[in-house]
Amino acid sequence: MKRQLIAIAVFAVVYASLALFVEHSYYLLILAIVPVWAVMGLSWNLLSGYSGFVSFGHAAFFGLGAYFVALAQIHWGLSPWLGIPCAALVGAAAGLVVGIPTFRLRGHYFALAMLAYPLALLYVFEWLGYQELALPMQREHGFAYMQFEDHRIYVWLSLALLVAAMVITAIVERARFGMSLIAIREDEAAAEAAGIRTLAWKLKAITLSGAMAGAAGGFYAVVLLVVTPPAVFGMLVSAQALIVAMFGGSGSVWGPVIGALVLVPLSEVLHAQLGNIIPGIQGVVYGVAIIAVILVAPEGVFWKARDILARRRAGISPVVADLPHVAVTPPACNANAGGAIAFEVRNVSKAFGGLKAVRDVSLQVRQGEILGIIGPNGAGKTTLFNLLNGFIRPDQGSILLNGEEVIGRSPYQLCAAGVGRTFQVVRPFRRMSVLENVIVGAFVNAPSVAQARVAAQDALDQVGMRAQEEQLAGTLTNKQLRLLEIARALAGKPKLLLLDETLAGLGAGEVEEVIGVVRALAARGITIVIIEHTMQAMVRLVDRFVVLNEGALLAQGLPEAITRDTAVIDAYLGKRWRTANA
Amino acid sequence: MNIAQFIENFLQALVAGLLTGSIYGLMCVGLSVIFGVMRVINFAHGDFMMLGMYVAYYAFGLLGIHTLFGASAGPYVAALVAGPVIFLAGVLAHRLLISRVTGIRGNALQAQGHYAQLILTLGLALVLQNGGLYFFGSSPVSIATPLASNAWSVGPLYADRIEIFVNQGQSIAALIALAVVAAFVVIMSRSRLGKSLRAAADNPEAATYMGIDVARSHRLAFGFGVAVTAIGGGLLASGTSFQPYVGLEYVIVMYAGVVLGGLGSVGGAFFGGLTIGLVQQMSTLFLPNQLQNTAIFVIFLFIVLVRPQGLFGTALRRT
Amino acid sequence: MLEIVALHAGYGLVPVLNAVSLRVGKGEFVAIVGPNGAGKSTLFKTISGIVTPSAGHLRFDGKDLLAVAPAARAHLGIAHIPEGRQVFPSLTVLENLEMGAYTEAGQRDWKANLEKIHTWFPVLAQRAKTPAGALSGGQQQMLAIARGLASSPKLLMLDEPSMGLAPAAADEIFERIVSIHETSGLTVLLVEQRVAEALHFADRGYVLEAGRMVLEGTHDELKSNDRIRQAYLGM
Repeated sequence: MKRQLIAIAVFAVVYASLALFVEHSYYLLILAIVPVWAVMGLSWNLLSGYSGFVSFGHAAFFGLGAYFVALAQIHWGLSPWLGIPCAALVGAAAGLVVGIPTFRLRGHYFALAMLAYPLALLYVFEWLGYQELALPMQREHGFAYMQFEDHRIYVWLSLALLVAAMVITAIVERARFGMSLIAIREDEAAAEAAGIRTLAWKLKAITLSGAMAGAAGGFYAVVLLVVTPPAVFGMLVSAQALIVAMFGGSGSVWGPVIGALVLVPLSEVLHAQLGNIIPGIQGVVYGVAIIAVILVAPEGVFWKARDILARRRAGISPVVADLPHVAVTPPACNANAGGAIAFEVRNVSKAFGGLKAVRDVSLQVRQGEILGIIGPNGAGKTTLFNLLNGFIRPDQGSILLNGEEVIGRSPYQLCAAGVGRTFQVVRPFRRMSVLENVIVGAFVNAPSVAQARVAAQDALDQVGMRAQEEQLAGTLTNKQLRLLEIARALAGKPKLLLLDETLAGLGAGEVEEVIGVVRALAARGITIVIIEHTMQAMVRLVDRFVVLNEGALLAQGLPEAITRDTAVIDAYLGKRWRTANA
Repeated sequence: MNIAQFIENFLQALVAGLLTGSIYGLMCVGLSVIFGVMRVINFAHGDFMMLGMYVAYYAFGLLGIHTLFGASAGPYVAALVAGPVIFLAGVLAHRLLISRVTGIRGNALQAQGHYAQLILTLGLALVLQNGGLYFFGSSPVSIATPLASNAWSVGPLYADRIEIFVNQGQSIAALIALAVVAAFVVIMSRSRLGKSLRAAADNPEAATYMGIDVARSHRLAFGFGVAVTAIGGGLLASGTSFQPYVGLEYVIVMYAGVVLGGLGSVGGAFFGGLTIGLVQQMSTLFLPNQLQNTAIFVIFLFIVLVRPQGLFGTALRRT
Repeated sequence: MLEIVALHAGYGLVPVLNAVSLRVGKGEFVAIVGPNGAGKSTLFKTISGIVTPSAGHLRFDGKDLLAVAPAARAHLGIAHIPEGRQVFPSLTVLENLEMGAYTEAGQRDWKANLEKIHTWFPVLAQRAKTPAGALSGGQQQMLAIARGLASSPKLLMLDEPSMGLAPAAADEIFERIVSIHETSGLTVLLVEQRVAEALHFADRGYVLEAGRMVLEGTHDELKSNDRIRQAYLGM
């Protein structure tokens, strides 16, 4: 964080002194405009870069900010010094108003809906008769109305706005806020299951993002002195916000700034030089830039450069050897297995259309017990887990956690109540480090980032991955990813841990290691339910088995009994096998 | 305003809505094919339509279609010429750009790939509309046809108090649009090519197992999609004036229609477009002209928020 | 007919297949069994080109498959009936079959194949105009197999045809596969989790575990082997 702030300060000083060497007012104007688009890029980035909800409509906030400043000065004589902060509030309010309905949508639908807002506003403002609003000149009280003879002051003001946006972004990025947004981008379902209130964070993000864009729009009106609907609500405004951010690299403080520093001067200069020959040159520059980035380096300049640097560094440094894992001798019999009933499922059923995925399943898990749920493909195991952690609601039945009915609670509420889970397909937040991944999981029961960090490190210790905490999650091996998922779930201090095919795809030695980790957790009193396809390794891990077949409970009991159960053998190997080998 | 006059206005708007709506329906069918087969939302769709308008414009004037077919039939021939030309442009755009982030290769990018496609077509849209300024100039043009200002009158009805005018140019354009949609539906449902496109849309992996080249299917679908919309643009070109930024005005119209009809459903898209045309014209009864487009946007937002699967989509897909 | 030597493949960084070798002779019925997650479906996807191997050789009818584009492999005579059926839900039953007959051989033999398909699976004739998505699971599986047969294949690759079916429906599918193999002499490569059935009908079998072929043998050799019991039941 400190390094980040110093870097921002250095950048600000360099940029501010640039203005001292530029005389020509047109170039000063460009210097003043670059930070405006950088702020727009950061605004877009705060929402779309971190949360992954791509907005094509940031012009809505920008335009409202610009018109607010202009109209407030014209009608109420409000100085931009106050008008711009108010424009930020207008943008924030607009963000919230837009966000509440629009976050019901995902993916393409969200993007398209966002596109409609500024375009609808554009026609409304034209209809209102604001085709061209000029800010009244205040020659006598220039300073009071943010009108300066010396154009360098605009550059510095604009830069101040940018520095504020960068610092806000840097703070957000390191805080629970930013990490939660990144977790949402990487995998919204996993984030929800890790205890993150996704809708609340998304609304905060679009509100703050709207505020930044509103302020940028307000300042833009002051610099250009004229506001027209196409110039502030037009498609190019939204596109420019998106393009500077994606070109430079979204999901970072510097990406949007780099994007604006490269693209804005380029398009402006080309426009000045060739504008009368090639009228649409600005749009072409942005269009070509974004096409090139998508084709060549979709992650953007900043990340590409960082990856290249990281690779070069990795080339010299020795490969970090896998540390020997924590040796845990599995207890012969789990002492806790006779505890109180921690979790109970009663007559739960769920159908999708005609398919009955789970039929009338009842089971109990005791505190500290390891319960294995097995069954062939399509037996309804993952659906059962989705019911248990609140992703889907059962059609009937009840689910009791420590005797309390939990049906109807959302995944993050269940997570807060002590239900942690992992996923069949590992869902790490790939662009985050191992530690950050686990910190996200810790937020649910940690009031501050510092406490979350402690909880996360503790969780990493428990799975024996403390040594890899700095590594990017995207670079881990399959076994490490499985352990990471367990750690992420552990960091929320769960009482009940749902493990979905944690052993799948692991080599023989790796299976033993993960089994050791899971047994150690149970020994600490965590109740564990684990799903697998096959019984192979499970026989050595679990205290008790539940066998599902075609959504229904086929058998339950101790491992030795289950492997001799004829119904189970039939389900796995077929009747012919039993008759042939009887 | 007395009742007779209101009814007259209403009927007039209804007729205008049906005529414009047919062309919108045609344009929506194009966008919908691309989404249906490739699961790509083509941001540049309006700009391919704009290219289609200019192709029709220049074909009419410079290529001598005017002299060959005359001022009445010429504009429609020119509109149809836009189809194959834009088909080639679409195939080229797909091969050079879009194929790199879609299809089986794009699937590796998974979630990122989705936005990569959308954003790539956004870039393409910016290049086309702004590049268009250079090639076509910024002053609005339109194809001059006498039919655009001629109308058949229906009536007088209801004791001589109601008379409706049906624009001749628009009527013929609407009929051609209907014919193109019908032909397209037949191709998609009956021909081997159409079936293979639908198979590739349903399940690209299984289609590959059948020996269907999915990348080629996507390329053709993109080509067909923009071509069909370009014909729609060509048909509009003789009624309205246009400039290189015209695509943006229609792109929301098309999205609204396609979403209304249920993303990916060709039949739904046509009725979606038709509905949008009706809404747009009907809105003039209650709203000032400038808010026509806002009305469409509001309806679009309403549909996406309330019923994102569309109004006709699920029902039509089953039949 | 199909020869695989030391094949390695995976998704991204996660390796799935490790030096897998396999041979299927003309007219043979070969089964691959092994627990889920062993890499059976990945092996099939590598054969039909959806997954690109990182090392190894793939030969079909003497041709190097790696030099053939995925979509072109069907035209060589490989019919892949994927896991989970994957029929085209919005196409009718008949249209699904037409898509199966997309290959030149399939078009040439269309009439004869359709007749054979309708005798093997009469229900597909009755429901020719129904969208495939509206069929039951068992009927969809029949359609998936019939769609593969419509291409006049030389090799039929079946990935878990009994998956997610009720026992009666699975038995029916199984009988049909066996009778098709017996009457037409078609080469069959089968991946199945119902080990007993798979090994009972197969001439030879392979056991795939954690991406490696751990066992190979005739059905008699494998049926009495404890390794299979261990692979599935862990004891």
